[in-house]
Amino acid sequence: MSENSEEEYNTIDDDFIYDEDDDNSIFETDEPDPLDDEGDLTFSYIVADKDRPKNYEVDFKVHSVAGIVKNQDEEVTHVSNILGIEKQHAATLLRHFRWNKERLIERYMDDSVNVLRQAGVITENSKAPKFTKVRNFTCEICCDDDRNMETLALSCTHRFCRDCYEHYLTQKIKEEGESRRILCMANQCNVIVDEKTVELVVKKDVHERYRTLLNRTYVDDNDHLRWCPAPSCEYAVECHVPQTSLISIVPTVECTCHHRFCFGCGFPDHQPSICALVRKWIKKCEDDSETANWISAHTKECSKCHSTIEKNGGCNHMTCRKCKYEFCWVCMGPWSEHGTSWYNCNRFDEKSSQDARDQQAKSRASLERYLHASIFYYNRYANHEQSAKLDRELYLKTEKKMEEMQQTSDLSWIEVQFLKKAVDILVQCRMTLKWTYAFAFYLARNNQTEIFEDNQRDLEMAVEQLSELLEKPIEAEKIAELKQEVLNKTVYVGSRREVLLEDTAKGLLETRWEFQVDIKE
Amino acid sequence: MSGICRARLTEERKQWRKDHPYGFYARPTKTPNGLDLMNWEVGIPGKLGTPWEGGTYKIIMSFPEDYPSKPPKCKFTPPLFHPNVYPSGTVCLSILNEEEAWKPAITIKQILLGIQDLLNDPNPESPAQSDAYMLFKKDRKEYEMKIRRQAKENAQQ
Repeated sequence: MSENSEEEYNTIDDDFIYDEDDDNSIFETDEPDPLDDEGDLTFSYIVADKDRPKNYEVDFKVHSVAGIVKNQDEEVTHVSNILGIEKQHAATLLRHFRWNKERLIERYMDDSVNVLRQAGVITENSKAPKFTKVRNFTCEICCDDDRNMETLALSCTHRFCRDCYEHYLTQKIKEEGESRRILCMANQCNVIVDEKTVELVVKKDVHERYRTLLNRTYVDDNDHLRWCPAPSCEYAVECHVPQTSLISIVPTVECTCHHRFCFGCGFPDHQPSICALVRKWIKKCEDDSETANWISAHTKECSKCHSTIEKNGGCNHMTCRKCKYEFCWVCMGPWSEHGTSWYNCNRFDEKSSQDARDQQAKSRASLERYLHASIFYYNRYANHEQSAKLDRELYLKTEKKMEEMQQTSDLSWIEVQFLKKAVDILVQCRMTLKWTYAFAFYLARNNQTEIFEDNQRDLEMAVEQLSELLEKPIEAEKIAELKQEVLNKTVYVGSRREVLLEDTAKGLLETRWEFQVDIKE
Repeated sequence: MSGICRARLTEERKQWRKDHPYGFYARPTKTPNGLDLMNWEVGIPGKLGTPWEGGTYKIIMSFPEDYPSKPPKCKFTPPLFHPNVYPSGTVCLSILNEEEAWKPAITIKQILLGIQDLLNDPNPESPAQSDAYMLFKKDRKEYEMKIRRQAKENAQQ
C-alpha cells in the first residue's frame, strides 16, 4: 500500500480521470445493461477502485534542500521580474510576506511605498554593496576614526565601519540564530541587511550558517511546508491542508526517508486520531504515573499460576513458561476461546475488563490506585506501542528467516520479500491500532461507536493472526503453504486497516463522531 | 571586544560632558582604583507638567563586556513604583532588549531620554510589577497621587 501511495500523489491528475471513469462505470453497472461483455471496462474499474484517492489520504510532495533552494530562487526571480526590483530586495519582501507571493504583489501594486517601508527595503540608490573609505569618518559604534578604515552603508545611508558590521552580523547569525530580520545598526532604522551585504561582510562559515538559517525560515514561514521531524533528515514536505481543517482531517504524510508523520502537528503517524485528541491523550498519559504505566503495560500475571510475565514477543498469544497455560495478553482470558467468532478483546466491555482488572488487583492493590477507568484504553494503547517496538526486533528476526528460507528452499531473494512486506504492514497496523484506542477513549458512546469498535476488533484480530503466523518456525516442507497464508493475511490485514481508516476519516468529514471533550480547544 | 567597549564608553562620556539634556546626570562610578567605566550612576528628571515633576530618579547602568553588541542593564535604585519596572528595579523597555529594538548605535543619551519618556507613558502591554500595574489600570487618580508622593521622596536635595 505504501508504495502505491507515493505514486498516487505524483499522478494525482490521472487519479481524477480514473475517478470520473469510475463513477461512470458504477452507473453502467447499476443499470441492467445486457451489453456487459466488455472485459476491459470491468478491468479498468478494478484498477480505478484501487487507485482512487482515499478519504484518509492527503496530497503531499517531498522536497530536498536543493529543491527548497531552487524553489526560493524561482519565487524570488519571479517577483523581482514582476516588480522590477533587485533580487535581494524581492527576497526581503517575500520573507516579510511569509512567501505569500500573491498578497505581496497585490499590496505592492496598491501601495508600494508603504510595503517597502514596512518590509525594511529602500530601493533608491541601491547598488551592489561595497566597502569604501570615507574622509573624516568616525564610526558611531566603536568610535574609531582611523583614516584607512573600510566602511559600509545600506541604502538607508547609515554608515559604520567594517569591523563593527562584521561583529554585529556574526553575533546575530551565530549567537541569536537570526537571518531574515537583521536590521541596520542605527537606532530606530528598520532597513533589513540584505543577503548580498551579509555575503560581502561575514566569513565563509558564518555565511553558510546564514544560508542554512534562511532556508529554514523559508520552510518555517511557509504554512504549506514542514520539515521532516526524523533525526538528521533534511527533507521538507509540502502539503496544502490548512490548520483549520485539522478537526476533520488527519493529514498523514511520508517523507522520502520513509518516516510517516502528521503534517498538522509533526507527531508520528497517529491515524485515525485527530491532532487535538492526540495532544489530550499524550498529556493524560504523562500525568499518570510513568512507573505504574510501565509495569502495567509491560508485565502481567498468569491468571492461573500468578507468575509475573513480561512480554518479549510481538504476538498476543501467550503461553506461561511455568504452568503452560495459554492465554490472551490483551484480555487475559484463555486462548482457546480466541480465534472464534467471539474474540472479544477490544471492547470496553464492563464485565471482561473488570474481570481482567480484578485478577490483577489481587496481588497489585497498591498499583491499582494509579489506574483509572482509562487504564483499559491506556493498556491497549501501550500494548500495541510495546508490540510495535518488539516488531522492530521482528524485522531482524525476519531477515534471518528470509535467509534461512532461501537456503532451505529454492525461493529466490525476491520471492522471500513477502515476509518483509508482511512485517511492514504489521508495524503500520499496530501504529494505527494504538491510536484507535486513544480515539475510542474520547468517543461518546452511541451507535456510531459500535461501528468503530467493530472495525477496530476486526483489525485487531487480523493483526494478531498475522503476528502469530510470522512467529511460527519454518518447516521446510511447508514453506509454500506458509507463504500463501502470509500473503493472504497480509492483504487482509491491510484491507482491514483501510476499511477502518476510511470509515473514520469519512465520519470526521461528516462530523459523524461525537467526542466527550471539546476538540476545538 | 573589551577594547571596543572601553573606547565606546570613553567616547560616550566625552560626548556627555560636552553636552547633555537639562536635569540629567550620568557618570562612571568611583572606586578606590579610579573610575569604573562599566557601571554608571545616572539620574533622570521627571518631565515638567507630569506627576513625575520634581523627582530625579536614580539608575545604575551596568554595561556588559560585549557592549555595544549587547545593551546595558538599567536598574532603578531604590526600585521604582512604575508598571514597567520589575520589583528588582530593572527597567523593561524595548530598546534595552537585545531581542527587540536594541541597536549598537543607540547612545546613552538616547537610552536616558527613552526612559524619561517611559515614566509618564507606561506600556500596559508589558507589565513588570503587579502593584503599579493594577493601580494604573483600576484607579488612575490614586495612581497619580502615589506617583506625586514618589516624586517628592525623590526630590534632589
